[in-house]
Formats: sequence, structure tokens, C-alpha cells
Amino acid sequence: MTTASDLITIKGNWSFDYTYFAGETASRFFKELREHKRVMGTRCPSCERVLVPARAFCDACFCRTGDWVEVGPQGVLETFTVITAAFPGLPEPPVVLAYATLDGADTALVNLITGLDASDVAGTAERLMAQPRVELRFIDEPQGRITDFSFEIVQG
Amino acid sequence: MSTRVGILGVGQTSYRRHHADKSSAELIFEAVEAALRDADVDVADVDVVLAGVAPDALAGENSVERTAMIGAGKPLLRINTGGVTGSSTAFAGASYVASGRARIALVFALERMGQATTSQQVFNTIFDPVYEKDFPLTTITMAALRASMLMRMYGYTERHWASIASRNYRNALRNPLAHIHRDLSPEDILASPLLAWPIHRFEACPMSEGAVALVLASEDVIGDRDAAWMQGFASRSDAYAMGDRFHRPEGTLVDLLSLQLAAKQAYADAGIDDPRRQLDVVELYSPFSSAEAMTYPALGLTEAHDGPAFVEAQEVDLSLPRFNPSGGPQAANPVSATAMVRIAECALQVLERAGDRQVEDVRRAVATGQGGATQFSTLCVLGSDRPE
Repeated sequence: MTTASDLITIKGNWSFDYTYFAGETASRFFKELREHKRVMGTRCPSCERVLVPARAFCDACFCRTGDWVEVGPQGVLETFTVITAAFPGLPEPPVVLAYATLDGADTALVNLITGLDASDVAGTAERLMAQPRVELRFIDEPQGRITDFSFEIVQG
Repeated sequence: MSTRVGILGVGQTSYRRHHADKSSAELIFEAVEAALRDADVDVADVDVVLAGVAPDALAGENSVERTAMIGAGKPLLRINTGGVTGSSTAFAGASYVASGRARIALVFALERMGQATTSQQVFNTIFDPVYEKDFPLTTITMAALRASMLMRMYGYTERHWASIASRNYRNALRNPLAHIHRDLSPEDILASPLLAWPIHRFEACPMSEGAVALVLASEDVIGDRDAAWMQGFASRSDAYAMGDRFHRPEGTLVDLLSLQLAAKQAYADAGIDDPRRQLDVVELYSPFSSAEAMTYPALGLTEAHDGPAFVEAQEVDLSLPRFNPSGGPQAANPVSATAMVRIAECALQVLERAGDRQVEDVRRAVATGQGGATQFSTLCVLGSDRPE
């Protein structure tokens, strides 16, 4: 009979480098963030929804999108979670992750909520359950990445 | 369908954090060997082999299914549709049999995530690297985003989440294969640390590994033997981006449109028009309580806004189907295998081979599958009666 101490384990590690290709549509979306600090969507000619962030095609209608439309800078918080546990490779808690629908958009967008003291988790949750208005908050020097902005609760 | 399909044999390893005593190939072998024995079928009589393994990075091994070569010389396909990998694989096997391309299909699914130091970092890589992956989107936060939405829209409380999880743990005490054998009360669950509000540690599924296999056969192979008949099975997909599923008339992010559509098809095929009365057992792909709650309206068991009352009714209304007699994914979640485990458990219930977890008089059982940020749903109706 084999005992636990007889069982061999072998250390392993997967660590590969990649370069992700964003494609033309997301490249333009990111350029708008970097150069104009604005969030753009694309309109589906079939269902007429403004998809945010911009997409090359609408996967509900299977057709290419058309016009580019600026959305925001304010919107409505749709749903959220207050992340309270640390996981390797992920940001240090507390972090508030949320979906918000920017004014003029027909889809919700994922990002972090910043400018909020989330250490009181229950109080933060109660406040966010009321679906407050949010606005875009850009970093000082946008890099052309989805992390160029976050959501902040509109005060008052 | 040209021929009816039934499950003749079920094989499962136990599910636990580590199977340090078995290599990946040996885990597959163990489940397959048990399924063939249960079906009294020789590997030589298998016509096609279908393997289900979800993201390779969870195991840190690429294409692990080929290391346990089952029945060399036969066609083999590997299937990966995230959480529904196990059910997609079973359905592919059933389609082979139903179409007459195979008389006997062997399907198996393996999860080897016990080899990963952490799963949440791996799960983050299933999200879009362009727009999403920079954020802490993981299986846990994805569930938390839905749980808070269900609380806002339908009035669920943290107490409901805890009571669903507690019932699942209680059921798992009667399932020797389950990973978690702890009698956790709702209070214990609410007292466990928060992972991502409103999800507490003991509400979240464990990281489990293990393997499951099924032997599917055509009507002529089954003859007058006992089988769990596949009376209906359907899978449906949905738009990729979760954000695209908030504002649409056919259903929000928490309305599980893909499961609704799969249920509609599979129920029609199985002749089910009153699921609340016609289903005896329901095995749900619900790694979190909120994932379970989302299925109730999609399965036609209650209206969405009555969901919280439906959770409370389950304890007193014995005419309702029994949920997760195995304990479900909160008591064992071998991701690649989980959706096939649901089908295996329903088959055992229908065949009256479920041991201590056997529910009385099971004529019909339903197994669900949920994958890819609820982008994929599957539903399988199994019955003791041969379909008409």
C-alpha cells in the first residue's frame, strides 16, 4: 500500500509572453480614449443598439456595425461587487468592480469604481444598491488602454 | 432523431482537492473503467470516444485527454465549451448515437485543477484581453455581480444565498463522492469571510478534481435492459459580452436566456409542460447560490420575482422537485466534468443506483449546464421510460 509520503509531486510553472492584437475597431476606441478622453460606441444598423465599448460587429444580429457615437460622460450603475479577498495576480482589495450604462449607450461597460472608500463593505454595498449616477474619471496621461478611465459616483 | 438514446453506464472517481495518488491519465482510466463495467460493455464495442476538458491552464497540461488513450483505433474528439464542457461532450456522444453514426459512444470529462496553485488567476484569462482582462473578472466576481443584481431586482438577501448553500452541503453528506462533507448551517456560511460582496467563502464552490464517464447506447443495443433515457437534450449560446445582456427585452443578464431556450426545446422533446410537477429531481450547475437562483425561472419553476419565496417553499412543499441530491457544485466542482456529473447523477437517480442519496420514485430528472459567463447553457431530461 502506498502512503502519502511515497507519492511524488513535480513542480511546474506556465509562464508565456503574448502580444494581443486588439484589431482596428478597438484600436480606434483606444485612440479616442488617449487623444480625446472620450468613450465611443458603434451602432448596429440592424438592432440600432449603440454597443460600448466599440465593436466591429453585433453578435446578436450577425452584422457589421456602422456609425461611431460618443457616449457618457455620465451614466447609471447597473451592478457591482466589492472584492474583499486577495487572490494571487489580482489587485489588492478592497476593489469595487461594476457595470455601468453610459448615457447614449445601449450596453453596459465593465470597469472599477474609484474615489470611494470601500473599507465599510456593507455601507458601500447599500449605497451602490441604489444605482447611483456615475461619471467617467480619466487618468492624467491616458495610454490608450481600457484602464485609462474608471467610474466615480456623481456627488449630490 | 433516428434512434432513441439511453445511458447504460456511469463511472465517477471521487471529487476532491487533490488526487495525488493518480496521474491525469489514471483518473480518466478509473472513471472510464467504472462506466464500462457499470454498462457491461467491452471497450472493443465502443464506436466513438468523446473527451471533455476545459481550459488546459487549470491543469497546466495541454490536451491531457490524449494521454489516456481510450480504445485506440476509434475516432476521438475533444470538446471545450467552458463550464458546459461535460454536457456538450455528452450531447455530442448522444448525437452520434441518435444519428446512427455510432451504436455505443463513450464520453468522459476530466478536471485536474488540483494541480493549479490558484484558479482565479487562470479564470481571469478566459476574459477578453482587449476590453476585459485588465479588471479582476473571475468566476467569483462574475457570480457576485449577478448576485447583487438579483438582490436589487428580486429581493434576494444574503440569507437566501446561505440557505441554498446550506441545503446543498447537507445533501452532500449522503454523497460519498462529494468533495465537501461538512454540515454547514446558514449561520456558518454567513460567518465565513467575504470573498466579494455578497459572496462568502462557504457559499463559493471548492476547487475539485476528478473524472466522470458515461456509456451512451442506441435503442437496439439497450434492448430490454435498464437505461436512463435521454428524453430531451438541448444546448444554447448567448452574446459574449455580459454588458450586452443588460438592456434587452428578451431578458437581462440574470434571466439566463440561453437556459430558457434550451429548456424550451428539451421540455418539448420530452413532453414536459408542467415542470414543477413533472420533474422529480433537478441537478443544477450552480457553483454559487445566485447561479442556482437564476435557473428557477429559466426552468419554468417559478416567476423571477417569486424566486426568494420559492427558495423558502422548497423546505416545506414536498411536491416540488428535489434540488441537487448529490450536493451539487457547491460541494464538488470539477469544472470540466461538472456538467457531465450533473447528467451522471440524474442517470443514477433514474436508474435507482444513487445509494444513500437516492430520491424515492424518480421518473424524470433534469440536469443543467452553465458555461462561459452564462454564455452557454445546456439542459438534459433523463427518464426511466423509453421516449415514445
